[in-house]
Amino acid sequence: MKFSFFHLMPYPYLPDDFDTAYDSCALTYPNANFDPALGSALYARYLDELEYADQLGFDGIAVNEHHQSAYGLMPSPNLMAAALTRRTSRARIMVLGNAIGIRGNPLRVAEEIAMLDLMSGGRIDSGFVRGIGWEYFGHSINPVKSRSRFNEAHDLIIKAWTSPELFSWYGESYEYRYVNLWPRPLQQPHPPIYIPGAGSAETMKFCAERKYTYMSVYAPTRIVRRWFDGYRQAAADLGYVPDPERIAFSVPIYVADTDERAHAEGRPVIEWLYHKGLRQTPEMVTPPGYMSPGSLRGVLSSGMRGLGVSSYEDLLASGQAVVGSPASVAERLGTLYAELGGFGQLIGLFAIGPSTHEQVMRSTELFATEVMPVLRPLGTKAEVSPGAST
Amino acid sequence: MADGAPTEEFLELTGGRVHLLRAGTGEPVLFLHAAGGAGVWHPFHQAIADAGFEVLAPDHPGFGKSDEFPEVEAIDDLVYHYLDVMDALGLARPHVVGASFGGWIAAELAVHSPHRIGSLTLLSAAGLRIPEHPVTDIFLLPPAKLVATLYHDPPAAPLTPSPDAPPDLDAVIAAYREATSLARFSWVPYLSDPKLERRLGRISAPALVVAPSDDRLIPVEHARRYAARIPGAAYAEVPDCGHAMYFERPAEFAAKVTGHLSKHSLSAHPLAAAESGASR
Repeated sequence: MKFSFFHLMPYPYLPDDFDTAYDSCALTYPNANFDPALGSALYARYLDELEYADQLGFDGIAVNEHHQSAYGLMPSPNLMAAALTRRTSRARIMVLGNAIGIRGNPLRVAEEIAMLDLMSGGRIDSGFVRGIGWEYFGHSINPVKSRSRFNEAHDLIIKAWTSPELFSWYGESYEYRYVNLWPRPLQQPHPPIYIPGAGSAETMKFCAERKYTYMSVYAPTRIVRRWFDGYRQAAADLGYVPDPERIAFSVPIYVADTDERAHAEGRPVIEWLYHKGLRQTPEMVTPPGYMSPGSLRGVLSSGMRGLGVSSYEDLLASGQAVVGSPASVAERLGTLYAELGGFGQLIGLFAIGPSTHEQVMRSTELFATEVMPVLRPLGTKAEVSPGAST
Repeated sequence: MADGAPTEEFLELTGGRVHLLRAGTGEPVLFLHAAGGAGVWHPFHQAIADAGFEVLAPDHPGFGKSDEFPEVEAIDDLVYHYLDVMDALGLARPHVVGASFGGWIAAELAVHSPHRIGSLTLLSAAGLRIPEHPVTDIFLLPPAKLVATLYHDPPAAPLTPSPDAPPDLDAVIAAYREATSLARFSWVPYLSDPKLERRLGRISAPALVVAPSDDRLIPVEHARRYAARIPGAAYAEVPDCGHAMYFERPAEFAAKVTGHLSKHSLSAHPLAAAESGASR
């Protein structure tokens, strides 16, 4: 099993009347509520936490891209990755990912990732995401074009990284007469690719065809199981069994010395994430065209509930958060491992809400020293029979 | 209402099928529907037919029962689409009436092919970019606020099911499909063509611009700007009415439209003699 420390870089200082006064902490949430002095201190603290995870022996440290939101303060994940290249030395630096669906110029992403790969000595993992619904409002990109823009940007970036010669590009959304990447990435043929999935069969096939890592996003275990099985089936259809490392389970984690303390401290953090950080209107989640009518039908009939309505207890029971003492967390993750049919990467969201720096450092340290050793042997072989967990 | 229900038909074009409602006899009136209202035959339409006109109401690409026409990507494609529709229907120079989103299409059509338009009626048309009077973002409005935005006096009975009612999945998917089609044509620039305003001087047909007095979606300044820029355009307001227009004040809107159509009979046009026999 490989372990990553994923930082969402939230802006946790929401007003007391947030729940009644605002639909969301994104898109239209007034930026007068952002205090630059606090924000500056948060960046310093958050980078310290990522660097600490590197020192503790996490295999990866992860950042992502979000816009116009208190949910996450990283409009440019590549800037954060650049900062990490100079003060970490072991962990892979995972950009999960660049939102290439909403970028105006995807060639710039190819250039920046290539730079990061060189600066980090070949430690970059490159995730690509479409960008979430509200970002299509915020960056004025037509959501109807989301998937075609994503696919075209992906194809262009891969070709830019790998082509040994200048080429021209004439696509539906982008045209370049001269693509001639300087610098080229260090890793050959290019940095490993991560793609988050949320149930789309098209995405499962896309990842399986290219042997990209398929990672889960917030969803109950029974639904993530369906996604992972879909990816495994897509690989089987192509005649191979995916390396367990190509399947990554991402989940919010909070560890403290005892169960009692973990729940007392972890509850407000998990509740902040799901009830405030991810609070959105349906119009923000699914702008027109962001999903195909068929996919929307699938989501609506799958019984998935809005993220804002599940209680803390429901979130724990459904595998959407893992909280407890080191022993409890190890046991719970072992159970989830079995219920999900196995996975070779665990991407822990350790910094997701109004937790203090001390709490994040302690949770991360306990996980690294007491949970990782227990789970490390899992996920190294492809076939996992249910119940094989410790 | 003399003739009752309209006939329903499908036009076969190269890119797919267009669903069309038709009723009445007389000079042809091509009606271009708003973002809502595809495939709806309203008392407003019947009133125009009853006044002695043949009303032809097609569904836009990706709306109602019309096919997607994926190659129709933007407003310029819609103009060519409707030129195809007019040709398929044998409409050489019909009256053209457009509401809201359909009004934008009508205005673009009249700018592109002024000689193909017998008369033009714009009912609170979208299409202009007026930064100091922005159009409300319809894509971000939750259903409850949408009703309050569309009506001057929102109906007491909810137009949308209560949150407790089990969702009608087919209706949700159908609404999402139409919203997707609208977004395809109008996400950005938002419900407008920044070049349209300076082209409006090309319009030669007699034009009427009608605005509901209390339009909370498309500010009334848009209608006034259309009236100011289209040569010789007449302007009228319907009081105590919101953007829902003929859903809120059907008789008043029908009267404005039929008054304009009757005043500008196609046969009175200088081109009419040359065209006689050419049109259907």
